[in-house]
Amino acid sequence: MVGLSEGEKHFIRGGIAQDLRTDGRRRLQFRAISVETGVIPQANGSARVRLGATEVIATVKAELGKPSILHPDKGKVSIFVDCSPTAAPMFEGRGSEEFSAELCVALQRCLLGGKSGAGAAIDLSSLIVVDGKVCWDLYIDGLVVSSDGNLLDALAAAIKVALSDTGIPKVNVSLSATTDEEPEVNVSDEEFLQFDTSSVPVIVTLTKVGKHYIVDATSEEESQMSSAVSVSVNRHGQIRGLTKRGGAGLDPSVIFDMISVAKHVSRQFISVLDSETLAAEAAE
Amino acid sequence: MSAAATAGTYSPASAAGEKRRERKEELRRHLAEDADWPRADGRSFHDCRPAFMQTGPTTAASGSAYAEFGKTKVIVSVFGPRESKKAMLYSDTGRLNCNVSYTTFATPIRGQGTDNKEYSAMLHKALEGAVMLHTFPKTTVDVFALVLESGGSDLPIIISCASLALADAGIMMYDLVTSVSVSCFGKNIIIDPTSDEEAWQDGSLMVAYMPARKEITQLTLTGEWSDGKITNAVELCMDACSKLCDILRERLKDASSLAE
Repeated sequence: MVGLSEGEKHFIRGGIAQDLRTDGRRRLQFRAISVETGVIPQANGSARVRLGATEVIATVKAELGKPSILHPDKGKVSIFVDCSPTAAPMFEGRGSEEFSAELCVALQRCLLGGKSGAGAAIDLSSLIVVDGKVCWDLYIDGLVVSSDGNLLDALAAAIKVALSDTGIPKVNVSLSATTDEEPEVNVSDEEFLQFDTSSVPVIVTLTKVGKHYIVDATSEEESQMSSAVSVSVNRHGQIRGLTKRGGAGLDPSVIFDMISVAKHVSRQFISVLDSETLAAEAAE
Repeated sequence: MSAAATAGTYSPASAAGEKRRERKEELRRHLAEDADWPRADGRSFHDCRPAFMQTGPTTAASGSAYAEFGKTKVIVSVFGPRESKKAMLYSDTGRLNCNVSYTTFATPIRGQGTDNKEYSAMLHKALEGAVMLHTFPKTTVDVFALVLESGGSDLPIIISCASLALADAGIMMYDLVTSVSVSCFGKNIIIDPTSDEEAWQDGSLMVAYMPARKEITQLTLTGEWSDGKITNAVELCMDACSKLCDILRERLKDASSLAE
């Protein structure tokens, strides 16, 4: 992306201070969001989300695997993010690895919950087939197709939509008489189970520019940020994760204020996302 | 990267698994519901582990520091400011590079520490707000952190130790950065968790803080937290960070008086 001149920077900061951004939005207003589901038929669940000029694809793949030793009664969820060079030239080569890892860790922090499984977006116990032997492994992949700021919110929204689109095949198990033998599993081709995604959170990022903070920052606005706070909130208003980004320090009271503003803003964002998801699934 | 642990070769029998699960559930109930109990190492909920910090363990580096918090042992070296590599573009401000790595013997299972790729980026963001980058344009400061033993709360200790190493190197900073993390069990909050406690937490929160400026440079939260608990946990962390900063200042004074 081409650098901004001093005049452009001053214009952006001045506009934010006056609650009128360069694209006409107010400080706490999102860009238009559009949602498509089922874009990758081979995956168990998939979604494409466009937030302004930012576009991401999320897919969910389910495979049968063995549960972890520490949690034999829970399935496993892994999250990966790929920043493709087609999205922005800065993602070429090793440049995207650190950024992808940062996005990936932030998403994990928001979706996977604590070590005991509390606060996870999906009930991991529902992924168990046979305790200690067979479970579903969910692989969630996010792909950044076009980048114009606010990738984390777009990725979280896409993952939420992809999870609601996900169908897991029903598994019938015939246990052998000897408990130590591997059980036979019969994966159904016709019956599918779906997740309860009411607790899957969305991420709202508040970006601090000057003395104010904005939601859904574009690339240009992100280049002017001093710091940002990404808050993960679900439909019930519960906070599931929080990540501070950017280098400058923040006053604790400002952070608490940003958290409450994020909870307030997320209510509207979640309802818009839910209605878009229903429309996309109806159109599928 | 995968957040789930790699599946081992051990396949437990159902009966033994059932018994272990009952024991685990009983322990979780005990952790989450009981109001007050001494932790496995004898601390109460809001006690940190004893801290030992020392400057100058590495003679080749511009600055270095060693930290021990309970079982966690960390060594950090700082090199620079020195010339940036030619591939780097010109920059009006200096660059700060951070690298965090684990020794193969740092974890109970050999080589397990390689999963923490994001620690380098988080260390960089925690220190970036404190270092005066404009005082060394066109050059680079490298911070290398090595975890000798991992006993829980590794990243906060790395951040505190790195800020001590930067001060030892004479890099100009707005303030020392100290960091503390807490774990959440049900409605209880415990500070400075060990790795055993971390393995069963419902949620965790980490704060990196500049006490003199009263600014938070890094804040991450995961798991299940209510609003009131977040506020309490952040304030608890900030208080612990201030006390830890006093310890760091004492170490720096000791080091400078020894040098005279």
